[in-house]
Amino acid sequence: MNKKLLAALLCGTAAIGAVSTCALAADTTITLLASQDWVYDAEMELGEKFEEETGIHVDYQIIPADQYYSVLMTKINSGECADIFGGQSGRFDIVTQYNVEENALPLNDEEWVSYYDEYAKAETSVGDNVYGMIYFDTTTDFYMVYNKKLFAEAGIEAVPTTFAEYMEDCQKLMDNGIVPFYECTADGWHHVMWFCEIGGRFEELEPGITDKLNNNEATFADTEMFKTCLEQIKEMADAGYFGDNYQSDEYAGMAYALGSGEYAMTMAKPGTIAEIAEASDGEYTVDDFGMFYIPTLDCQVLNVHPVGPTRFIYSGAEHPDEAKQYLAFLARPENLQYMIDNEPKVENYPFNADQTPAYSEETRAFIDGSESRGTVFQDAIKYLNPQWFDFGQDIIAYLNGDMEAEEVLANVDARRADQAAAAGDEAWS
Amino acid sequence: MKKAKFYPWYFALISLIIYTVFSVVPGLIGIGYSFTDWSAYSRELHFVGWKNFAKVFSGNSEYLRYILNTLLFTVVTCTFKTGLGLLFAVLLNKGVKLKNLHRGILYMPSVLPILVTGLTFSSILNPKYGFLNAFLKSVGLGFLAQKWLTDPHIAFGSVMAVDVWRGTGYIMTMLIAGIVAISPTYYEAASIDGANAWQQFKYITLPMLRQTLAVTIVLNVIYGLKAFDIIYALTNGGPGHRTEVMNTAVFNMMSKGLYAEGTTISSVMFVFMVIIGYFMVKILTKDEVVE
Repeated sequence: MNKKLLAALLCGTAAIGAVSTCALAADTTITLLASQDWVYDAEMELGEKFEEETGIHVDYQIIPADQYYSVLMTKINSGECADIFGGQSGRFDIVTQYNVEENALPLNDEEWVSYYDEYAKAETSVGDNVYGMIYFDTTTDFYMVYNKKLFAEAGIEAVPTTFAEYMEDCQKLMDNGIVPFYECTADGWHHVMWFCEIGGRFEELEPGITDKLNNNEATFADTEMFKTCLEQIKEMADAGYFGDNYQSDEYAGMAYALGSGEYAMTMAKPGTIAEIAEASDGEYTVDDFGMFYIPTLDCQVLNVHPVGPTRFIYSGAEHPDEAKQYLAFLARPENLQYMIDNEPKVENYPFNADQTPAYSEETRAFIDGSESRGTVFQDAIKYLNPQWFDFGQDIIAYLNGDMEAEEVLANVDARRADQAAAAGDEAWS
Repeated sequence: MKKAKFYPWYFALISLIIYTVFSVVPGLIGIGYSFTDWSAYSRELHFVGWKNFAKVFSGNSEYLRYILNTLLFTVVTCTFKTGLGLLFAVLLNKGVKLKNLHRGILYMPSVLPILVTGLTFSSILNPKYGFLNAFLKSVGLGFLAQKWLTDPHIAFGSVMAVDVWRGTGYIMTMLIAGIVAISPTYYEAASIDGANAWQQFKYITLPMLRQTLAVTIVLNVIYGLKAFDIIYALTNGGPGHRTEVMNTAVFNMMSKGLYAEGTTISSVMFVFMVIIGYFMVKILTKDEVVE
């Protein structure tokens, strides 16, 4: 009798516990802080499914890209961050910029870690602990995307392989009434890629420069090719190849701008081509667009960018378990596939979950056709990525004539030195 | 006045304690931190003397430009808000139909959240899709269309103009209250003596408004020196660094975890504000007209 009573009591307690857990989950809202363009519509649809399944609501807090890092860092530094926060990964930056060992929770025990890409794991880990989940298509990068029809109409027969050829082609497009390139500096990040994405070319021109910069044996200001690269960006802007409005244009308007046929090129991920074709209202198909290498400093090296926007769970999260549940939900094989199938920008994710990538033939041909590859500078160089927006702001000041190229590069060095000193990097001591 | 008419000093004690604990003490601690290397990257704190201040005031420092921008913003917005506020206050004082409606419309921008104002004007001032340029082009004034927030020569002016638009109504309301408080007998006497409207304004309204003007100017100056949100919402300090002011720099430093540098700039601003505020009150309340 006593055993029965005890069993009944235990069952009752368990039932009450289960009900209260459900009730708790049903009332729970987790917050997710991310930069503009990091949360796609398809993810929000998954968020709704997640809520149906668990009762946990996801509150997406999206911040304009140019203000994101200052808001994120203020929230982290003031101890009031969202349950999940987004941030660029990279083995150096997650320590120096976010201090993930203090500000994020280790995720080693999560099931998805077992099929998480090894390189992605390395770039989101400190020591043996995995702190972040890259939720971005890092299997491809930003390349030059161009409109084949507009190129043909302007009499351009082949894609440029040098900066000089590229400038000639831009002029031909201009003469044909087409704005050559859709640049959008209002977000503060896009224009920096002209410089940072050609890390492989920098290394090709000056072998060992990556190590020298990381060991504090070289500086940006004292290396001539960096100045030349900035000068080439200014050359494009001054020639009007970015159009009149590039400092007000935003990345969100890119698909429409290229789809309208007003612009001939941009720098984007291959998956974006489908979005551009869709925005063109039937004027163009995906076959009307192609890709070539970023032409600054005559680059012919395929840029490889194995890290990207990553999800971290804040160490002071109000709902850490629910936040982990959400990441686990996103990383389920069927949900990775859902994103690949429903979001044009995502062709694959850095997981080995037997998902089927959505690479187009053009993308495969472009990537497979590259003879040399090089890691982008924001991944290869210490203390560069955290200052992306400061660097971007300085480049704008340079384009507007408020700064000299040397000053822009000296500022990059100074900020690197500040961060290295704060991080106690021996190479800078 | 009888001494008994004053409230005892301890009536103010609670307010003073709250003010001291939440304003004065943090301010002083902040100044103290300016002499350290306090940052998010290290748990240790070291005394570094005047190093942070030297960085702010060094010849090639960008902070000097931010100080100048802050002062320019303060002077320009204060002048225009006060001037326009006074103009509207006088115009909408009497002899205008539906004056309360007009006053309400002018006051309305002041109650809008600054971020809403910023986002709205970012859209209105967009050179390609914005309402302002579209309007100018539609009435044949296309040559006046500008890149309002991205042209480095115009951006700061645009930001200040939006701030003047937002703040004028508030100043106008304060000045209207001041004008209404002036006894009409002065104006009647002046009319009998043959004084015209300008003379009445110059010799009655302006001197009698001096106290109210002093308050509005001090408030405007303090607001200008503390400017942050309108700039953050409209340009985020850009294009480049053209519209950066001291408080956007403080925000940037704090968000980067460089707390000591952030508090240094705040301390510099604190000293500026105390000095400027003190002398302004002294000058503006000198020879006050008392009814």
